[in-house]
Amino acid sequence: MASASRTDTAARRTGRGAPPPSRLDAVLGNLARERATGALRVGRAGTIYITGGRITYAESVHVPGVEDLLTASGRVAAAVVTEVRRAAAADGGETLVRQGTLTRGELQFCVLGATLDAAFSLHEVTGARPRFREGDRHWLGPQWYFDVAGLSRECRRRRLRLDHAWPSPALDTRPVVPAPRVTADRVVLTAVQWEVIVHADATATPADLARRLGRPVYPLLLAVRQLAAAGLLVPPAPANGTPGGPPPADPPAPGGAAAADGASGELPRREKGASRPAGAPPAHSADGTDVGVLIRLRDALERLL
Amino acid sequence: MLDIEGCLAGALAVPGALDALVAEDAGGAAVASGSLTSLDPQALADAFTASLRTTLDALALSTPGGTVRLEDVIVTTDRGHHLLRPLCPTPAGTALLYLRLDGERANLALARHRLRAIAGRLGGG
Repeated sequence: MASASRTDTAARRTGRGAPPPSRLDAVLGNLARERATGALRVGRAGTIYITGGRITYAESVHVPGVEDLLTASGRVAAAVVTEVRRAAAADGGETLVRQGTLTRGELQFCVLGATLDAAFSLHEVTGARPRFREGDRHWLGPQWYFDVAGLSRECRRRRLRLDHAWPSPALDTRPVVPAPRVTADRVVLTAVQWEVIVHADATATPADLARRLGRPVYPLLLAVRQLAAAGLLVPPAPANGTPGGPPPADPPAPGGAAAADGASGELPRREKGASRPAGAPPAHSADGTDVGVLIRLRDALERLL
Repeated sequence: MLDIEGCLAGALAVPGALDALVAEDAGGAAVASGSLTSLDPQALADAFTASLRTTLDALALSTPGGTVRLEDVIVTTDRGHHLLRPLCPTPAGTALLYLRLDGERANLALARHRLRAIAGRLGGG
């Protein structure tokens, strides 16, 4: 998933050059150059598995692993995973496919999704000293190969996308509390946003919800920030006398939470500014919805052509 | 049974296929791409996942009386067709397949038929 042109584009999109590589990035870069195979422990936060210099799996204590995703979601019985894991040296994935528990596509997508989620979580860890153990392998065996630079770039892209949705990490680690009453007449939610609202019990953080639901953490973080931007969550308690949470960089996109999705955030800023009148239409009004949807549909189509 | 690369190869084997890309919907990352002549896979993934979200928003607001399940999105231009199709739903997220077709050589019905078969062979759900 890497290409030189993509680096250029990513840098251009963020409006600044690539950030200086972190210690983790530097260590991973060396392991990639040496085409190493083994496991890189990132402090106590998690482990990144490398096969021939490419990342084949990552796990973080803060996000569900493949086993958790498969069992908490009810897709595979916990006993099946435990049994296969116990019997497997480093080819448990093959067993799961061979015995018909998962299709290969499903297994690849679960591994890929869990790895992206864990890598994002591990990239946020600072101060941990990475330690490499040559030859250690994950029990699932390699199912998908990420190049090191491509995965780091994807982590940065995910960070930017979160900040576009709602530029504050305040809600990322707190219990999710849906607003008891909303000012909108009606609200449009994505499926993930629905799950967050339904399962939020004022004690579970986004990471708790992820474990409970058997979903990666990142889409829940994104959903929580989108819900916050749409005014559907109780904002975090004011800190240092600042009223409410920090305001979003842009007014919440009209049309409820679904419309606050990265769709508009990832498009070039100037187009958005130019196409939206200075006095933006009030959130949730029918007019604003129509205009917002049309503008984003047009912009998205333009980028496709 | 297909894997992700097989799914991509199958999409590119559709008559008239020009570009194909697999992305994931949880974060919108480009996962695998084939024959993208001058296109940046991640920029394409960003564009078409945004387009898909917008389409779903519009559907939510314009579908009276009930929930719909999106099968695919077809955009037809003066030069060809763009097909977007969610496939292989898993607990970790759903794959998104994008296929660009040449307007002269492609048969839209055949292409949709092939992609439906690919989705079936990839599994998930």
